[in-house]
Amino acid sequence: MQKLSLPERPGWRDRATELGFTFADMGGEPYWDETSAYRFTLGQIEDDIEAPGAELHAMCRQAVAHAVTSEEWLTRLEIPRPYWDFVERSWANGEPELYGRFDLAYDGKGPAKLLEYNADTPTSLYESASFQWLWFEESRDAGVLGPNTDQFNRIHEALAERWAAICAPGENVHFAADKDNPEDYATVEALAWAAREGGLGAHFTPLSGIGVTDKGQLADDQDRVIGTLFKLYPWEDMLRDDFAPNLQPSGARFIEPPWKAVVSNKGLLPLLWHLFPNHPNLLPAFFQADIEAARRGEQTPYAAAIAEAGPLLAGGHVTKPIFSREGAGVVIHEGGRETDRAPDDSYSHHPHVVQALAALPDFDGFHPVLGAWIVGEDCVGLGVREDRARITHNLSRFKPHFIEG
Amino acid sequence: MTDLADRPEETPAPRRKRSRHVALLLAGAAVLTLAACEDDAVDAQAFPDLNSCIAAAQEDGLWFTEEDCRTQFAAAEQTHLETAPRYESRELCEEQHGAGACGTDPAAGDPATAQQQGGGGFSFMPLLVGYMMGSMLSRGGGVFSQPMVRTPTGYSTPSGNQTFASNSGSGRVPATTFNRAPTTMGQQPMSRAQVAQRGGFGAGATARTATGGARGFGG
Repeated sequence: MQKLSLPERPGWRDRATELGFTFADMGGEPYWDETSAYRFTLGQIEDDIEAPGAELHAMCRQAVAHAVTSEEWLTRLEIPRPYWDFVERSWANGEPELYGRFDLAYDGKGPAKLLEYNADTPTSLYESASFQWLWFEESRDAGVLGPNTDQFNRIHEALAERWAAICAPGENVHFAADKDNPEDYATVEALAWAAREGGLGAHFTPLSGIGVTDKGQLADDQDRVIGTLFKLYPWEDMLRDDFAPNLQPSGARFIEPPWKAVVSNKGLLPLLWHLFPNHPNLLPAFFQADIEAARRGEQTPYAAAIAEAGPLLAGGHVTKPIFSREGAGVVIHEGGRETDRAPDDSYSHHPHVVQALAALPDFDGFHPVLGAWIVGEDCVGLGVREDRARITHNLSRFKPHFIEG
Repeated sequence: MTDLADRPEETPAPRRKRSRHVALLLAGAAVLTLAACEDDAVDAQAFPDLNSCIAAAQEDGLWFTEEDCRTQFAAAEQTHLETAPRYESRELCEEQHGAGACGTDPAAGDPATAQQQGGGGFSFMPLLVGYMMGSMLSRGGGVFSQPMVRTPTGYSTPSGNQTFASNSGSGRVPATTFNRAPTTMGQQPMSRAQVAQRGGFGAGATARTATGGARGFGG
């Protein structure tokens, strides 16, 4: 894994505008940044990212099977009690997942470490699947990249195949998102194009336009009944909205399915460590409440594992709220002192998990986080974000990557 | 599909790790709509008041007359009275329609005595801030209208199904815009729970500060 300075494609900003990629610059800073790119070997991609990505997803599925029938874990994950059955039924019925993104710490050597799983509403899909692909093809055509290069990016094709596999031919899928947020909207549109390629009908409806018919079905902003709803809106919010009681009775099919409420929750991290202790791709993680209980000398089922991880956690750990997006609420502690804190604390009133610190590598003063894309149950692509800060957030730069060697 | 970029087959590419084509174009929300509703659109024009309609009707070549303005404005006023949403408090009404956009229910009579009158009782409703006329002439119909009320960010018909950026101007809108909303006059005003029947998603309940458009819901 290397970071290489490369010439930018002439006129790429105009091309981005022409394609509708309107957020290539955000907040006065570049978001898409092709002044340099990350290079991986095929071995690094296949052995350190692709295979562990699929394995981690399989472990998450086992964690879901464990949690949805456990009163203890549904409580710890703060899934509202009235919807436990809704969540459990979706798992028991085998409702299929569409996509997700693992955020991994990796420096080119040794096992990648799972930081968290954006399993419900991951964005940066268009950049990863499409604009990064275009960068690769054009850079190779221009001779900037050699002929024996490739990119880990089967995301678009895998999505089209997945849509075709989990829906009936010609099925109409409604896509709901916040239409005023270009980043969210671009992710939904990328998914919708893949759905159309998979032979489905794709229709957009604003989140705020969804209603309930007098028969209890969900309806779009034109009063058309919604059979299948893709929502770029987190389950943890969905289950707390005024509309939550209408969801299960509506009979609509949801993508992602309700059981993703277990996975897209940072309480997943202690659950994984509990089920798969010392797995090479996991960092020790616990609920803060359990660590405090252990400190008071209470005997809990987690006390032994906490004691074992004690020295590692004392060296460095991160606390994060179980619900949060884009780095909000993350605090880094090293050697007994707080050394970093995300400025956004809007989720910090939720219970916290404590996770051992995985130091992100430093490339020219920037810290990359690898986004390993999961479609269905396979790991199919990579998107790299980097930041000068150690806590990646929504304005962190997107960096293209390629495979060589 | 024209938005697909295709790459020719390459020789020999063992264990190729990337897509052979992708969808490159972000076309915007308009593309992701049901094709079937396109031929359902009708000519429409919105006016903030009767006089602006009458002024517009002086121009040649329009599909409505000064007489249409008068009849349709009267109809819109009556429809507003009968179908505008009614709320049990001014606070709830202003949450849905914006500050200063609500008034008391003229059909409920004197607030002091309304409680004893039975029926709907005392309630608040959004003020009439214009009307939209639509032409069904090409479909063998006549001229129809709906009243317009405020939303926190724009304008809508009483049903709330169609929202508009402005209460003046012309364009093509779905014919369903002119469907009459259910009667609310004489009904119990809406409580907070009933308002949730539409727009019940998006509060972003787990974030302490409001999320809304700036932040988005993805990660």
